[in-house]
Amino acid sequence: MDGLFAQLLTTAFLATFIRSVVPLLLTGLGGLFSERSGVVNIALDGLIIFGALAGAVATLALEPSLGSLAPWLGWLAGALVGGLIAWIHAVISIKYRADQVISGTAINLLATGVPAVILTALYGSSTESPKVQNALPLWGIGELRFSPPVFFALLTALVTWYVLYRTPFGLRLRATGEHPGAAASMGVNVRRMRYSGVILSGLLAGTAGVFLSIGNLDSYVRNISAGLGFISLAALIFGQWKPLGVLAATILFGFLQALSITLGGTDLLPPTLVQALPYLITIIALAFTGRSAGPKALGKPLDG
Amino acid sequence: MTHLSDSRLSPVAARIALTASAVAAAGLLLFPLATLGRGFDADPVLLHLTGAVTNLSANPDAPLPPTGTVLPLGWAALALLIVSVVGALRRASWVWLTGLLAAVLGIIAVVLLGQGLGEQTARIAADTSLRPGFRRQLRSFYEGGGMNLGLFLTVLGGLITAGAGLSRFPAWWERLNRLRGLLVPAVAISLAVLVGAVVVLIVQPAVNASGTPLTPWTGWLAKSDLVYFVYSTLFAPVTALNPLLESLKLATPLIFTGLSVAFAFRTGLFNIGAPGQLTIGAIMAMLVGVYGPASLGWGLLPLSVLAAAAGGALWGAIPGILKARFGSSEVINTIMLNYVASAIFIFLIGSNTFTFLGREYSLPFKAEGFEPASEELREGARLPTLLNLLNVGADGTTALTAGPLVALLAYVVTRLATRRTARGGLIALGAALLAGLLTWRVGIPVTVIGSQLNASFLIALACIGLFGVLMWRTATGYALRAVGLSPRAAEYGGISVARGTILAMTLAGMFAGLAGTHYVNGGALDEYRLKANMPVSVGFDGIAVALMGQNTPAGVMAASLLFGTIDTGSVGVQRLENISRDIVVVLKALIVLFIAAGGFLSRRVTDPPPPQLAATGGGGNAAPATAGLTPSVAAQERATPNPNVTLASETNKDVTQGGNQ
Repeated sequence: MDGLFAQLLTTAFLATFIRSVVPLLLTGLGGLFSERSGVVNIALDGLIIFGALAGAVATLALEPSLGSLAPWLGWLAGALVGGLIAWIHAVISIKYRADQVISGTAINLLATGVPAVILTALYGSSTESPKVQNALPLWGIGELRFSPPVFFALLTALVTWYVLYRTPFGLRLRATGEHPGAAASMGVNVRRMRYSGVILSGLLAGTAGVFLSIGNLDSYVRNISAGLGFISLAALIFGQWKPLGVLAATILFGFLQALSITLGGTDLLPPTLVQALPYLITIIALAFTGRSAGPKALGKPLDG
Repeated sequence: MTHLSDSRLSPVAARIALTASAVAAAGLLLFPLATLGRGFDADPVLLHLTGAVTNLSANPDAPLPPTGTVLPLGWAALALLIVSVVGALRRASWVWLTGLLAAVLGIIAVVLLGQGLGEQTARIAADTSLRPGFRRQLRSFYEGGGMNLGLFLTVLGGLITAGAGLSRFPAWWERLNRLRGLLVPAVAISLAVLVGAVVVLIVQPAVNASGTPLTPWTGWLAKSDLVYFVYSTLFAPVTALNPLLESLKLATPLIFTGLSVAFAFRTGLFNIGAPGQLTIGAIMAMLVGVYGPASLGWGLLPLSVLAAAAGGALWGAIPGILKARFGSSEVINTIMLNYVASAIFIFLIGSNTFTFLGREYSLPFKAEGFEPASEELREGARLPTLLNLLNVGADGTTALTAGPLVALLAYVVTRLATRRTARGGLIALGAALLAGLLTWRVGIPVTVIGSQLNASFLIALACIGLFGVLMWRTATGYALRAVGLSPRAAEYGGISVARGTILAMTLAGMFAGLAGTHYVNGGALDEYRLKANMPVSVGFDGIAVALMGQNTPAGVMAASLLFGTIDTGSVGVQRLENISRDIVVVLKALIVLFIAAGGFLSRRVTDPPPPQLAATGGGGNAAPATAGLTPSVAAQERATPNPNVTLASETNKDVTQGGNQ
């Protein structure tokens, strides 16, 4: 057991840990904006994939002309594409009042097919993109060197808290998710609030994808999200739809993921089973927090 | 029957006829009329309405079939379509005739073209002066020919115009009204096909094996031919027996997972857990099939199938219980259980050993070899292939039994004859059984290469029956549907929502678990063992299947067959260099997306008021007022409306938790 603790107290573990938390946190906060506005967003996993793909493709396309500036524009492209796909989800679930879970599932299905078609058309391989020469830069010291989205994620957690609880926009967003009728009668444009919430979730989940493809790796590979979107969704529910709660929950899930990565190299537990741990904990946690109410109007289309 | 005072076409019907005819007419001018031959790399020889032939194939010298009669027919069809456009603009009552004639001319042109190509094929086959390899190449060159977008749109547009025009007659309106349920899936498929076509146009460069440079016009023809090639290849498997059997094989697991999702949907639950339930079902089937007592012989098979059902049921019951007891969302829980199941799966067959707290333990499940796979199933636990089961020609000649076909025919005929008798369904079923048994030993000679379509297809058919009977013929099904439509009302009516939730998820899991038998007992993974290449994504496809089939057993069956067909056809699309088979996944996702957004169709179209109301309101196309409900309308009203899943899920949670608060 001593060996284990020694391994957990290294900076390498700390770095793995932070890298595991970041995409979960970004996506979870994105989901927070969407669900607080009253739109279930089960499409987060697909949004990550689209963001990751767009980030890598844009960087690859811009590299020859822009050099080290390319990944920054790649980040922008990834976020925007995430926002665009989220907008589709918003149109279907807000304008056409479709079942939000089904619409989200359709986006996730789309995310299993579209990248392969695009990769085949562009690079002739359906599973991965070529490696980018200019990934996002790493900042920091020693082993603790991270790409900018890591710092961006921590900042976003604070900004989200501030926006949600200290600005008129946040008040309106929360009102929209709790009681759209009342919000509308106070002059809040409920539709616009919901569109903003969903699109914001796409921007943030897209950024999480960009972190995975050109902030952590240097190419897009098939199934790059590995279900992170769903874990962040669980973290969102676990964190009771509150920014700091989401932060705490993603730290927990990130720790479990880092643990399974680290334990994978040891002979302590079967690594496959450790990988299932976050999911099992989610199920158990949901059984105890499931009763905690999310936004009251969550999943309900607007009347009229 | 009273007649409508206004003999003109209703505005809606006129608009549909106008659009269909105009699109078809434009298509005749803008797209190639026919393909006169197609090389191995999908390189075509295209015929345009003007008679211009664009040869983009690697076969510049191949003689082309005579096209004399096809072109005038095309021009005549174009003229008729233009007349239809004018007629539709004036809301004339004769539009159905010109539309129908255009379609008929189109069909005649297709047949003539087919004959011309057939003559070429026969000529090549008889020509002994050719090298065998070249002869085969030339034959498939002609066999790849046929109609193209121009003729296809003519036939389709003509038929739609005719249908819209005929809706003026009460009897036809009645008939078309019955198909209204197909409207949303049909429009969704069309839109998905349209978006898919745009994707193909963007990502795929034109095929040109001839080496001649393309002008913008020929480039456009080549591009539009690509779209036709992709879709005609995707839907091609229905035209021959072998790919048809392959389609049925790929459709089988989709039937299971589709039923699973649909069953939960009916109770207002969203089951995204079919992949996990399938995995656990397959693992259980493997455990019993490999480690069950060999002394049981063929008795092991039912045991293994039951184990698969039980495994899936267990994996479905967990989220059901969690929802009923704690109110936690089944959506999240089923997703999480998918990952847990996949971890168990890899743990069991990925390695022979595992370490726990520093000590090494051995696991017996992984077979020798590099690939993660289980041991082979015992002989007694294997499902026979359907061809083995139906093959009555014992002495080397391949002959399928005529039994099922005759039974189906007998069923349809008797059912139609006894339409108005009570118990007509039962009588028809009896007649079908009798006819099937009597003709079981009669064989139809066929040429089949052999197919891995296995008896799990029959289990799937049984599940379809079970779903239908359980849901619409039993008190339990009534309770489940009531919960799906309104949990609160059901609770007041004395139905236990919690029990319904658990039961529905358990049965849904059972359906998905049985899909495991297809892969493990049926040998659909090319061997009778559990292998890591099991495509668990069919669990997600089940969502698409259930949505498209509108959560009815027959609908699930039809949607599965459609998906099985395009999955099979997608292999042929690989002939195009830049396109990946995942175009099919994109199409499926788009279909779900467009069905989900069914709201773009006006509610008046998808869900019209009953005819009596419409008639008193005096609305354009309404059927005349009849005394009482016509049989078809009554049937339509008997059909249960689909529950709104999320809404039901939410209220469901309130109700199940009500007792705890």
